[in-house]
Amino acid sequence: MTPMALSERLEPVARRPVLASGVLGMLLFVFTEVMMFAGMISAHTIAKAGAPEWPPFGQPRLPERITLVNTAVLLLSGAVLFWAGRTWKRKPADAAPPLLLALFLGAFFVLAQGREWVALLGEGLTLTSSTYGAYFYLIVGGHALHALAAIMGLAWAWRRLWTGALTPAQFGATRVFWYFVVLVWPVLYLTVYL
Amino acid sequence: MTSARRFLPLLAVLMLALPEVLHACPVCFDPRAENRLAFLGTTVFLSLLPLGMVAGAAVWLRRQYRQRDYSEDFTTHSEPEH
Repeated sequence: MTPMALSERLEPVARRPVLASGVLGMLLFVFTEVMMFAGMISAHTIAKAGAPEWPPFGQPRLPERITLVNTAVLLLSGAVLFWAGRTWKRKPADAAPPLLLALFLGAFFVLAQGREWVALLGEGLTLTSSTYGAYFYLIVGGHALHALAAIMGLAWAWRRLWTGALTPAQFGATRVFWYFVVLVWPVLYLTVYL
Repeated sequence: MTSARRFLPLLAVLMLALPEVLHACPVCFDPRAENRLAFLGTTVFLSLLPLGMVAGAAVWLRRQYRQRDYSEDFTTHSEPEH
């Protein structure tokens, strides 16, 4: 065997990464966000257990039913994005309509939440009206901020997809963040609303 | 012996005798069972959640690596020789 042939044989083989760096980075970020929400949920649970009355006297009850419908819309949005991901693997251009639909469903969720907030503020539930109000706006408001950021991410991904510039890593990272927003919400709903 | 050193034993006695027992955790010794359970539950939740996430990620990555290795081996072995 010639030295040339030997060096050719020993050359490292380029291997396909199992996870794109962008997706890994987003996953690490999501892990920290999960812990932040876990901390807020825990604090809320302890405050609720220690309170003689929950919701406190004079504070409105949270709209459970309408929020349940809103929760279904958000979950549907997650399912549509999952479908967009499956479509992307077959033919990337075909993923644009479901991606846009997921974006609109997410925007509907945030707008409906905003409408609910306006009604609750009118009923006297504010950030400083009670611990109940403080936890509600902190937890649900924190989630709304994440949802807004994720919607902007979806819009950015859709634009790049439309121009043919969206990479699999970018789409993967955007989807991971939206799945986090979707999946953390039922936990928050069960903790805060019920 | 300086005056400061002379007062050290007295200071030590005072530090041992004067402080009252304080509990940093406001709910650990709460008489209400619901409160104690909430504290215990959230402690378990916050302790296990990060471990669960890391373990889940490790298992998932291991499976992905195995699948990749299997598919690459399969591709290499099934390649026609030139």
